[in-house]
Amino acid sequence: MTEKTERFFEDVQIGEELPVLEKGPLGTAHLMRWSAAMENWHKIHYDEKFAIEHDKLPGLLINGSLKQQFVMELLARWAGQKGWPWKASFQFRAMNLVGEKLRIWGRVVNKTEYPDYGVVEIELGILNDQDKESTPGKGMVALPYRNGKPLPYPFVPPVESVSAA
Amino acid sequence: MKEIMEQLKPFIGLSTSQEVACDVVERGAVRRYAQAIMYEDEIFNVPCDRNAKFGGPVAPPLFATHMFRRPFGTSDPIQANANNPDFDGIVAATSSSGLPELTPLKGFALLNGGSEIEFFKYPNHGDTVSVVSKYHDITLRETSKGPMFFVVVESSYSNQKGELLIRTRRTQIRRR
Repeated sequence: MTEKTERFFEDVQIGEELPVLEKGPLGTAHLMRWSAAMENWHKIHYDEKFAIEHDKLPGLLINGSLKQQFVMELLARWAGQKGWPWKASFQFRAMNLVGEKLRIWGRVVNKTEYPDYGVVEIELGILNDQDKESTPGKGMVALPYRNGKPLPYPFVPPVESVSAA
Repeated sequence: MKEIMEQLKPFIGLSTSQEVACDVVERGAVRRYAQAIMYEDEIFNVPCDRNAKFGGPVAPPLFATHMFRRPFGTSDPIQANANNPDFDGIVAATSSSGLPELTPLKGFALLNGGSEIEFFKYPNHGDTVSVVSKYHDITLRETSKGPMFFVVVESSYSNQKGELLIRTRRTQIRRR
């Protein structure tokens, strides 16, 4: 698994693309399983009549709460064994409907050096089968220097950074 | 809508007292969660080399945010709404983590608008997790689909040692 990767800050290039994470096609069983796992029962994910007639939606929606798991997985896998998926922020700009296959993508857009480790900024999103973007956002992954010390655990943000992404 | 916005302003900044999740981080719950998100990493299952630095088996990064479930013996919102055709199935523990209901928005549909996540530490199996939440901001915006309220809820999740696990800011979109 890619989590076993050891990635160092110096190895990362701006413009580098993260390996795409694929999920789905996500059917009603996937969505029901997720609803059960988190014990939330929002009907727009499994009650088609309610979704369409009551909430005026085009159909059953893939949970935003499930999509955000995929974003964190993308960052955690790429961070590897020595890195840390520090931040993620994203907007649910478009709906993903049941039955869609999702591709979670990321691209390195910036790198910042701090005294003890580096932070890589990643543009990310979620595409469906029609290449429609639903979840644009960004991530921040902390990586150690090749000859540096390990990242602190629990993770301690760099001094200049105080608030969320 | 501006009148409703005025009614919502007193909610901004309201926070909860510390709420403790009714269950600890359970191995079975972690398994169901990892399988549901299709991320069955061994670090979530058993002690291994890769989770040794985390103190043993852990839960997925966002697991703590879904631990605030209905405690045993409390009233059942699903049964209470069995004859309510407008009940959307959302249970309060997962929609706003103990914050007072935004009564001016009663009957408004809710959509997940997005999130900001800051992750510090994995929860370990057996951890007790607590949360403090607040209404960080509420705004009214005119959109191409009509007026919508954007409700931002900030939640900070900690373990029994007071170590911060994760901080989130979730945007809920409320519309008619």
